[in-house]
Amino acid sequence: MSQKSAEVNNKKFYQTDAFRMFMGKYGIGVILVFMIIIIAIMKPRFIYPSNILNVLTQISVNCLIAYGMCLCITTGGIDLSVGPQLALVSVLLGQFIVVQGMNMGLAIILSLLAATFFGFLNGVLVAKFNMAAFVVTLATQLVIRSIAQIISNGQGMSMASQEFKNIYSGTFLGIPYPIWYMIIISIVMYIVMHWTKFGRYVFAVGGNVNAAIASGVNVFWTKTLCYTISGLLAGIAGVIFTSKTGSAQSNIGVAYETDAVAACVLGGTSFAGGIATAPGVLLGAVIIGCIYNGMNFLNIGSYYQYMTKGIIIIFAVLLDMVINKKNR
Amino acid sequence: MKKKFFAAAIAAAMTMSLVACGSEPAAEAPAAEAPAAEAPAAEEPAAEEPEAEEPAAEEPAADASAAAGGDLNGDGKIIVGYISKNTVDVFHATLNGAAQERLDALVADGTIDEWTGILDGNTDAAKQCDLAQDCINYPCDYVIILPAESTASDPAVTAMADAGIGVVVVNSATDSTDSAALTFSGSDDVFAGELMGNYVMEQVPEGGVFVHCQGIIGNSAQIQRGEGIANTIEKDSKWTKAADVPCDWDASKAVNTVDDYLAQYGDELKAVICDNDDMSSAAQAECNAKGREDIVCIGVDGNQGPLQMVKDGTLGATVLQDGAGQVNAGIDAIVAAIKGEPVDKNYVVPFVVVTSDNVDEYLN
Repeated sequence: MSQKSAEVNNKKFYQTDAFRMFMGKYGIGVILVFMIIIIAIMKPRFIYPSNILNVLTQISVNCLIAYGMCLCITTGGIDLSVGPQLALVSVLLGQFIVVQGMNMGLAIILSLLAATFFGFLNGVLVAKFNMAAFVVTLATQLVIRSIAQIISNGQGMSMASQEFKNIYSGTFLGIPYPIWYMIIISIVMYIVMHWTKFGRYVFAVGGNVNAAIASGVNVFWTKTLCYTISGLLAGIAGVIFTSKTGSAQSNIGVAYETDAVAACVLGGTSFAGGIATAPGVLLGAVIIGCIYNGMNFLNIGSYYQYMTKGIIIIFAVLLDMVINKKNR
Repeated sequence: MKKKFFAAAIAAAMTMSLVACGSEPAAEAPAAEAPAAEAPAAEEPAAEEPEAEEPAAEEPAADASAAAGGDLNGDGKIIVGYISKNTVDVFHATLNGAAQERLDALVADGTIDEWTGILDGNTDAAKQCDLAQDCINYPCDYVIILPAESTASDPAVTAMADAGIGVVVVNSATDSTDSAALTFSGSDDVFAGELMGNYVMEQVPEGGVFVHCQGIIGNSAQIQRGEGIANTIEKDSKWTKAADVPCDWDASKAVNTVDDYLAQYGDELKAVICDNDDMSSAAQAECNAKGREDIVCIGVDGNQGPLQMVKDGTLGATVLQDGAGQVNAGIDAIVAAIKGEPVDKNYVVPFVVVTSDNVDEYLN
């Protein structure tokens, strides 16, 4: 016994509980800071305010998708249909605003409803029929993409009205709107995931579904709601995306789920389910953004960029696991 | 504990493997004793390494006074950005290669100080808009962009033009290229579609059934080449279009399409028109393998594989899009602008039908 207490006293700083708590929550942030410092030393322009705003604006679409993805992964699933959801929202906005001449706000709400509906459909198929989320969303990915192509007839449509383009390019207090959307959604997601009953249910379902059922958690609604939220967030991302390019198109968002999954994983979301944090996802998205922007600033050839990205992701996650092995 | 060491060792090994690609050996891998917390330090060389080789290679002392003419943003350097459409299509790989060679040469002779390297647009207009912002922040004086989309990539062009960058649009134009860009150099895709339609009508005067393998739906090249086909062969009463099949520029999907429509139409199928020649060459190879050398397959681009087939006589013809010519015309415009010479608004580089008669001119 006495030996043990001596051990406790001799712990090095990185073995103390306080340090471990810190790294457990913010380990990925430390990696981000390292990355920023390294890139900034080599290319000081990387940390000019204009470029920081640029990176944060760029990640907004991925960050919103990643929050939804994070919920799905935390319940032990995944949502692969987010890319086509962007396309669906985009072509619906084109139809409503350009073809029908509908009011912009109404058009956005209707488009978001459509994306939310498909999210809900994913959720029902996964939760009610207990189908593998990977399979369900892989299939709905095809269905939604096809619907987008049918609606648009495969043609792009210009959405160049200044009012609509302002959704992406407008600024408030000198900060571009997309960053504000991201801040608002981040706060909402933090509250939803960490302060509400629903949030605790999500972690319970993902951590141990049988225990969750035994504790009276409604697994069906918890899962369904996760996919519905994912659909809604992908829809909002679709509105931002459409405003960004000023064009309603059915071929957008291809492979956007991969960056979203990467952001989740970097942010400490566990594929085993039950482990995730909202700030982690945000940090993960920022890291992805810094990787893209930083690699261009560092003149890394495009053929090497995917490799670099892949290695950084594996490395960061590995590091996170090593650091946090005992913290969770 | 063992597991912890194992993980640290893997992390170190990965760092080493990345570093191995570069020049100098990194600090000895702290595999044996590295406590986990030290690992971030090991990451540094990984992020640093790829960068280390580049500036050394491409920073000859440039003549600042000669450069002053093209220094649009006044930071004392002339920097050229290059936003590619993608880095995977054979056609774009050729085009990017031509640009790389030329821009490296311009850096070497001091005409420009730096260029960004090939930025990968990933055939994604939104990605190109992001890259445009990166170029503005870099900061570039001139940017060459190969738009992924005519409408959706337009904000990239206008944002850069608004930031005072000389934008050179290559290959396909965006909506406001005429007003915003310094110059455009490219070819007319509708004309390419018409060349294909006319070629097939000449080769098979009696007509029949043809099938059209499309690129990714919504790409401007897909839409415009389709228009050209609609303008010609689809108007000919001797020809019946079996279908427009979305093949995503993908050769294997074109082969599947050929199989499907051969099964359905048999001897009636006389031609396969493809939006690119990766697809048409694969389609022709499939027809030949099935003993149907008489089917005329044609596509656009003039990639080396199809050209070789034309040379070998296994493919009748392909429509060459002179990508290297387009990008070189664009770079010429930048050089002219730097020297203060007038720059044309438009350089139209023509498409050419390549057959066994003229294939030697274009085959490397």
